[in-house]
Amino acid sequence: MPEIIVKYEDKVIERIVTEKKRISIGRTNDNDIVLENRAVSRKHAMIEFNNNAAVVMDNESLNGVFVNNRKISEEVLRDKDIIAIGKYSLIYHSETSQDHDAGASFDGTMVLTTKRQKKLLENNKVEKEMLAKYGGSLLIGEENVDFSEYRIDRDVTTIGKAKFVHVRARGFLLSGIQAKIVEENGIFTLVNLGKRGKTRVNGEEIDRCILKNGDIITVGKSTFKFVEGAR
Amino acid sequence: MKLALISDIHGNLEALTAVLEDIDKQQVDKIHCLGDVIGYGSEPAACLELVNKTCDIKLMGNHEYVLLGLESPDNYTHVARISAEWTQGRLTDRDFSLITDFEMDRSLDNLYLVHASPFEPERWHYILSPEEAAQAFERLEGWLCFHGHSHIPLIFSEAHDRLPRERVGHSFLPDSENRYLVNIGSVGQPRDNDPRACYVTFDTEGGEVTYHRVEYDIETAQSKMAQAQLPEMLIDRLAVGR
Repeated sequence: MPEIIVKYEDKVIERIVTEKKRISIGRTNDNDIVLENRAVSRKHAMIEFNNNAAVVMDNESLNGVFVNNRKISEEVLRDKDIIAIGKYSLIYHSETSQDHDAGASFDGTMVLTTKRQKKLLENNKVEKEMLAKYGGSLLIGEENVDFSEYRIDRDVTTIGKAKFVHVRARGFLLSGIQAKIVEENGIFTLVNLGKRGKTRVNGEEIDRCILKNGDIITVGKSTFKFVEGAR
Repeated sequence: MKLALISDIHGNLEALTAVLEDIDKQQVDKIHCLGDVIGYGSEPAACLELVNKTCDIKLMGNHEYVLLGLESPDNYTHVARISAEWTQGRLTDRDFSLITDFEMDRSLDNLYLVHASPFEPERWHYILSPEEAAQAFERLEGWLCFHGHSHIPLIFSEAHDRLPRERVGHSFLPDSENRYLVNIGSVGQPRDNDPRACYVTFDTEGGEVTYHRVEYDIETAQSKMAQAQLPEMLIDRLAVGR
């Protein structure tokens, strides 16, 4: 099956494997691939798949579609072609990469799959404001539309479904305390505790993981970004 | 409805089994566990399994909290730390996972269940003095609070400080005009000079609180602890209930 890896400013934000005959790309939510950026038209482009061939088409967009840096209106895609739309690049693979980590190993960046995660990555402004307000480390999460911040200013921060945890997360299979972040000598370690629900860092399921600035943590259906502050 | 309330089992499978058999005779509708299923005793995993199977509400105790690494055992006594480390090595991922679903507290109409105190439940305050009781009453929403933690069956009423110990011995009918903190005692490590396992039943219609004391095979529990090379002081205290 063909696969498309979506990158935003060199960060892999989405990996799409599709069985569809045709996928739409644009700014509005009704597209198969949503690229949230003003430079992207509402219905910017299409990719059609047919007997192992793929064709990308510009949908009379304002800023155009580029394949390998060449502006096109319609182009047959070859393996590893790079489609540029605004600040996004979409890399076409004619076959799904066997290696499940393909996205991550691509350039050492992360593989994310949902729009929420994408939004968290892009929202640097909110993050800077929060850090300016508070010097320590933070988890920034998204509840509906508003970003919420959780300070990690204790030795152990709990994440889960229970009322008494420090950071509430959603998800049917989640445990009361699904995960904890332990701080020891300035190093933050995320540990999964519940076994029914899952904890992921940058899309990878983990049992224990040392957090780096900018890591995206997913606990059940909730997503957070880890922002390391100066202590 | 008739409820059975158990707490502070502390890995003592002999005591837990005997208490559950006794509860069986009382024809209760539900059993709730107020925490500290593990720690001290030699069979943490088996006790967790049994509590998970038989109890409806399962609350977090400080021993579970430390086991999950949510609190450091630094404030523990030396023997408690040794037993916490020993326990940690005997639990599987599944056991850990069971504990992650324990609740910190629970309100049931006018009842409130918690391991230690309604005042900062996750700080595990003891309620042994009238001052500590006053602090707990300040935060208590509800008529009756059932709790454990100190392993000493004891009732504080808001109007009278501590109730005379002999009234705690068996049955007690709380006054609907007053409020109470009811320590239900310990199943697996009583500390009120009575080595028998302790638990409470509560009749939600009649309002009667009844303490039950159950004899169990203390010697077997002790010899299992000795085999596990747990601290002697923890083994000895079972026989005297202190």
